[in-house]
Amino acid sequence: MAKFKSDEILDLKGVPCPRNSARALLKLGGMEEGEILEIIVDDGEPLENVPASIEEEDNYKIIEKHKGEGHTWHLWVKVLR
Amino acid sequence: MEIYLDNTATTHYDTRVIETMVPFYSELYGNASSIHKAGKRPAEAIEQARQIIAGKIHCKPDEIYFTSGGTESNNWALKGVFYSNKQKGNHIITTSIEHPSILETANWLGEHKAKITLIPVNNQGFVDVDDIRKAIRNDTVLISVMHANNEIGTIEPIGSIGTLCREKGILFHTDACQSFTKETIDTEEQYIDLMTLNAHKIHGPKGVGALYIRKGSRCEAFIHGGGQENNMRSGTYNTPDIAGFGKAAEIASEEDVQKMSLLRDFFISEVSSKLEGVFLNGPVGGKRLCNNINLRFSKVKGKSLFTELNKRNIIISAGSACSSTRLTPSHVLTALGLDEESAHEGVRISLSKWTNKEELDYVIHHIIDIVDDLRKK
Repeated sequence: MAKFKSDEILDLKGVPCPRNSARALLKLGGMEEGEILEIIVDDGEPLENVPASIEEEDNYKIIEKHKGEGHTWHLWVKVLR
Repeated sequence: MEIYLDNTATTHYDTRVIETMVPFYSELYGNASSIHKAGKRPAEAIEQARQIIAGKIHCKPDEIYFTSGGTESNNWALKGVFYSNKQKGNHIITTSIEHPSILETANWLGEHKAKITLIPVNNQGFVDVDDIRKAIRNDTVLISVMHANNEIGTIEPIGSIGTLCREKGILFHTDACQSFTKETIDTEEQYIDLMTLNAHKIHGPKGVGALYIRKGSRCEAFIHGGGQENNMRSGTYNTPDIAGFGKAAEIASEEDVQKMSLLRDFFISEVSSKLEGVFLNGPVGGKRLCNNINLRFSKVKGKSLFTELNKRNIIISAGSACSSTRLTPSHVLTALGLDEESAHEGVRISLSKWTNKEELDYVIHHIIDIVDDLRKK
């Protein structure tokens, strides 16, 4: 189980690249400092591209990543400022 | 500092283009189809753009029909000719390396009683005119071959294909989105009946393009409505973007082409001499688009190189396309005969008129560094 409680969840299963990254950044952009967003992404390219896009930004930090059900992964992203 | 080398995908706006467009977003907002005063200047701007673009490809202004871009123009060319020529036949010939807007449209027409023949290419991406000749049937209504390939830059022999089409009485369409203003295009000398053009590859706005249709060619209207574009493509005129398209075409120069060609050859030569296992996809020299570089680095996934360069603010394109969850190899690279692993090694680096040698020296330095590093892993 995740060590962090998420404030919001964004399910990006089945959302292709790069729309998944754009939606993740849009969602994060509307959140407050200190809040945590849990993002569900597909394995494969989305798992490479979505975290990479988030990590390019100074405002967010991926604090945890877990394998989910089937071919999915869960990312917990904290809004730093 | 960001170095943008994905100019085949799109280009940075030229300031002169923006300056041309701005008045049509503000005081000159009138509908170009209106006969009152407010429509006058927008209508003039559209006709001026039409004349400039027609001049670049040696056709009559009335043979230029503005669209929303290359994809729409390609859809229109294939569907318009197919539905307008059913009494003659339903066979369309195109190639295996076309843009998806041709291939997917051909697939769709195939589900609507069209017969489609895809002509293969050789290992440099050239289509053989004799292969096209052999594929022609009595019911062939259209041959569509792109002028320059968007991934590997191969410039197809459209003059010879046009001549063949004229001999056989078949309409010839070419997708010139990548070559417009970079290669000489002459609709008369090359016997082109339909041609796809767009603006955003030449420092113009996105969302605008054109289809050239030779007067007298049978092609159905594409969008029905208010009668714009001689009843062929209705819809309120997108005046700012059309004016910007005209300006972008007007300011494109032969000097820019020469400069990009030299930088392209410099880049290919430098990288190939400084690294082992570098392969060029597509041809060398004059039969390659001036701004296109497509390389494979053996034992290095194109996506990995792309990602590492991206981290260093160097923007290129990986040869593989990301479908929903996995990378699919480029249909162009596999059409050259590359196996899946080799196709995944491809990267595309595309220059603009503003690319300079210092930028390329910097990029080459980083490519060598990253490739060496990735090969050690």
